Amino acid sequence: MAVARGITRRQALAAAVATGVGVGAVRLLGGTLSNLQRTPAPGASNGADWVSPLGAEPARIMQLLRRATLGYTPDQLDAALKDGFNRTVDRLLETPPAEPPALDAATTPGGRFNPSILQEWWAAHMLATPTPFAERMTLFWHGHFTSDYRKVGDNTFVYWQNLTWRRMAMTNLRSMLMQVTVDPAMLRYLDLASSLASSPNENYSRELMELFTMGPGNYTEEDVRQGALALSGWQLPRPDSFGSLPNLKRSLPVYLVQKTGVFQPRRSYSGDVTFLGKTGPLDTQGLIDRILAQDATAPFIATKVAQHFITGSPDAGFISRIAGAFRKSNYDVKTLMRAVLTSEEFASASAYRSLVKSPVELMVHAARALQDAGAARLIAGSGSGMGQILFDPPDVGGWPNNEAWISSNTVIERVNFATSVLAQKGASLPSSSDGVQHQLDGVLGPATAQLLNQATDERSRWFVILASPEFQLK
Amino acid sequence: MSDQVGINQLKRRDFLRAGLVFGAGASGLAAGYAAVPDAFARAVYAAKQEGITNDNVLVMIQLAGGNDGLRTLVPLADPKLHDLRPQLAGSMVAKALPLNDQYGLNHNLPGVKSLWDGGKVAIVQGVGYPNPTFSHFESIRIWETGDPTRRQVDGWLGRTLAQAYDSNGHPLTGCACGATDVPGALRDLQATMTVIQDQKTFGFTGGSEVEAAVGALYKATPGIYGALFDTAIATATETVAALRTSSANYQPMADYSDKVQLVYSSKNQLAAALQLAAELIVTGTGVKLLHVTLGGFDTHYTELNRHDDLMAYLDTAVSAFYKDLAAHGKADKVLIATWSEFGRRPAENASGGTDHGAAAPLLLIGDPVKGGLYGAEPSLTDLDTTGNLKYSVDFRSVYQEILGGHLGADAKEILGDAYDHVPFLKAPVTVA
Repeated sequence: MAVARGITRRQALAAAVATGVGVGAVRLLGGTLSNLQRTPAPGASNGADWVSPLGAEPARIMQLLRRATLGYTPDQLDAALKDGFNRTVDRLLETPPAEPPALDAATTPGGRFNPSILQEWWAAHMLATPTPFAERMTLFWHGHFTSDYRKVGDNTFVYWQNLTWRRMAMTNLRSMLMQVTVDPAMLRYLDLASSLASSPNENYSRELMELFTMGPGNYTEEDVRQGALALSGWQLPRPDSFGSLPNLKRSLPVYLVQKTGVFQPRRSYSGDVTFLGKTGPLDTQGLIDRILAQDATAPFIATKVAQHFITGSPDAGFISRIAGAFRKSNYDVKTLMRAVLTSEEFASASAYRSLVKSPVELMVHAARALQDAGAARLIAGSGSGMGQILFDPPDVGGWPNNEAWISSNTVIERVNFATSVLAQKGASLPSSSDGVQHQLDGVLGPATAQLLNQATDERSRWFVILASPEFQLK
Repeated sequence: MSDQVGINQLKRRDFLRAGLVFGAGASGLAAGYAAVPDAFARAVYAAKQEGITNDNVLVMIQLAGGNDGLRTLVPLADPKLHDLRPQLAGSMVAKALPLNDQYGLNHNLPGVKSLWDGGKVAIVQGVGYPNPTFSHFESIRIWETGDPTRRQVDGWLGRTLAQAYDSNGHPLTGCACGATDVPGALRDLQATMTVIQDQKTFGFTGGSEVEAAVGALYKATPGIYGALFDTAIATATETVAALRTSSANYQPMADYSDKVQLVYSSKNQLAAALQLAAELIVTGTGVKLLHVTLGGFDTHYTELNRHDDLMAYLDTAVSAFYKDLAAHGKADKVLIATWSEFGRRPAENASGGTDHGAAAPLLLIGDPVKGGLYGAEPSLTDLDTTGNLKYSVDFRSVYQEILGGHLGADAKEILGDAYDHVPFLKAPVTVA
C-alpha cells in the first residue's frame, strides 16, 4: 500500500511538472520544501495567472475530487489516481448515496430540537461518508431548492428534507420537482401549505419558476398567479401522535416516520388555468411538466451547475451543449453531471482555480486533508462568519458563490478556521510536503512558496497551506 | 452612465487605474474588485483630496424581503383597506399611532413616532419605479444599482465611494455592519470597503504574528481572484487596527438590545450592527457610508405577528442608535434611511399574509431631516394591473437627495440622470 501510494504520488507530480512552464507562478518540483529556494522575488508575478497543471490526468483527478466531492484524504486520492479520471467519474456517478445515521432527535415533539444537532449531524456525515459526491450534490441542491430552519420552524421537517435531497440528488428533475413541491419543509418555507384556491399564496409558484427552474423573464406575473391557483391544495402531513415538552402547555405534533405533504381536493382548484401559454385544468404534475416543456428550464439548471462545478462565467455555447444533453435525457441529472465533469471546459486552463470554495467545502476539505475525522462540531459552528450556515441560507436564493464569498470579514474567519482546526488536530499531522502536492497541486504563488519556505515546523507549514489563497480555490 | 463623468472624476479615475499595483492586473479588475491599498497609493491619495470632505454620514437600513408599506405608514381613514385586508386591517388601523387624520405609524414604532414629533422623521410615500418586478432578487438589484434597466452592475453607494470619496487606503469609508459579504449597494470595481459581522470576533486568532504572516501570504496573489483576496486581507488588517482604537474610545450611551422575541428568529442582529455603526461614527474613524440589514419582511404568511415584531425590533434599534448619536453630539451629521425591494400587495392572501407588491413608503430619520410626509398618497382604489399600488416618487429621487443634499456628491454623475426633487432635507449641502 505504502509503495503504491508513493508511486502514484510521484506520478502525479511528474505529470504536473510535464505540463507547461510557469510564468511567475512557482511549482514545487520535489517532495521536499527545500526546492522552494528557487522562489523568485516577491512581486515578480504581478499580473500572472495560475499555471494550469490540468493537462496531466492526476491533476485533473485532484480537481475533480475538489469540485465534485468534499475534498479527500491521502487514501481517497490514491484510490482515484489508481482508477484514473474516467473510472473515477463513473464511480462518483454510479455509486448510490450512503445514508447518514438516523437522527434520534427527529421524534422530538414539534421538531423542537437545537438546529446545531442537525448541522453537526450533517457535517459528521460529510466527513465520514464513503460517497462524498452525494454529499456535494446534496449541498448543491440545498443551496438551490433552499429552505431555512428558522421559517420552517420544525427541525424534523428540515431533517427529512436533507434525507430527501440526498436520495433524489442524482435522479431526474421531473421527479425531483414533485418531491420538492410536496416536501414538508418546503411546504412551510414557501407557504404552499397555507395556500387555498379561494385566495392562493404566490410564494411557491413564483420561486418554483424564478429560482428553481426557469429564471426571471421567462414567465409573466399572470403565470405566477395562475400557477399559484393550480398548485393550491397541498397540506402538511398528519402527525403520528402528539407530545409535549417541558415548560410548554400545548401538545406538539410527533412524527415517527418520514412523510410528504398531502393533497386536499377541497382546498384545491379544479377549473381551467392559463399557464405558460396553455389553457385547461392543471394539476401539480401537469404544472411541473409544463415547466419542463419550456426552453428556458434546461439552460437555467445547466448554467447553475456549470457555475458551481466549472467556472463562474460559463460560455453560452457550452451551456447550450450541456443543456441540450440534459433535456434530451429527459432531465437526467447524472447525464448532466457526466457532461459537465467530462467536458473539455472542465479541464481547460481557464477553469483552473476559477472557483472559490464555499465555507463548508473549505472546512470539510481542510479536515479531510488533515485526516481529522472529529471536526464535525467545529465545522458546524464555524461557518457563520464566513457566510455559510447549514440549513440557514441568507434567503430563498440560496448562497451566492465565488467572489461573494470574499470580504474582509470572511477572509479573517477562513484564516481563523485554519488556526482552530490545527489546534484541535494536535501534534499528529500528516506530511505538509504531501499536503502541498496533493491539496495545492504543487502550483504555488510566490508568496505562498516563500512562506512555506520560511515556516520552520509542520504546524506552521500546514497553517500556510490551509490559510493560503491556493487552498481557498478549487 | 459613464458618459456623465465629470472631468475631475475622469482624471481621478484614470489616475487611480494607473497609480496602483494590481495583484492580478486586468483579470483581477474584471473579477470586480479594486486595488490593494498599498503605502504608495495611500501617500498619493493623502495628497490628493479632491473628493467629498464634509463629515456627513449615511446609514442605510435594508428591510429585506419586501416591507409592507401599508402596515408601516397606515392609512387610517380609507374604508377600502378593510375590504382588501379583512384579516389584517382592523387591528393595524385601531392601534396605529396617528400622525394626522389620514395616516398613522405602525403601533410598534413609538420611538420613531417620538422622533417624528421632534421633526426628525421624513416619510416619502409611494416610492417605486416604472414597470416593477416582483422578483426579490431583481428588485433588490434595481434598488442596489439604482438602475431599473438592469444594465448597471455596481451599487449606487459603491459608485459613490469610488467616485466621490478617497476610499483606497481608507477602507473604513464604507462599511457593512452585521454582514459577512459586501452588500450590492456598496459594490464597485474601484471602491474598497469593509465588512464586519461581529466586532467581538473580528480579528485574527493568534494576533499580530498571524496577521503579519497572512499579510505576507496574500501579496500579488495570481489568478482572477488575486486582487480581491489581497484587498480583502489588507482591508481586514486595517479594519482590525481601526476597531482596536475605536473600541477603546467608545462608550455606548443608549441601550442596544437584540434580545427580541420574533415569530421566527432573525439572521440579523440589527441593534448590534447599529451599535457598531455608532462606534465607528462617534470615534472619528472617517466612516461615511454604512449599511445594515434586517431580514424577515417577506410576510406571505401570518403577517400580523411577524411584521409587528419586526417593526418593534426596528424601532428599538433605531431609537437606541439615534439616542447614542445624539448623546455623542453626532446626530446632526447622520442621516438614517430605510429601503426595501418592494412593498406588499394591498389585498391579503389566504395565509393571513400578503404577496409581493410595488410602491411603499421610505423612512428618513435624523437631525438633517425636515420632518413631514412627502410624495403623493398612494390610492387603494386606483391600483395597477397586478393589483398593486402605483408609485408616485421614483426611488432615485430619494437617492439624488441623499447624494447631493446630504453627502454633497454629484448625484447626476452617480445616478446618470436628474430626477424630481424631494425636499426632505433641512439644509441641503448643494442644490440637487
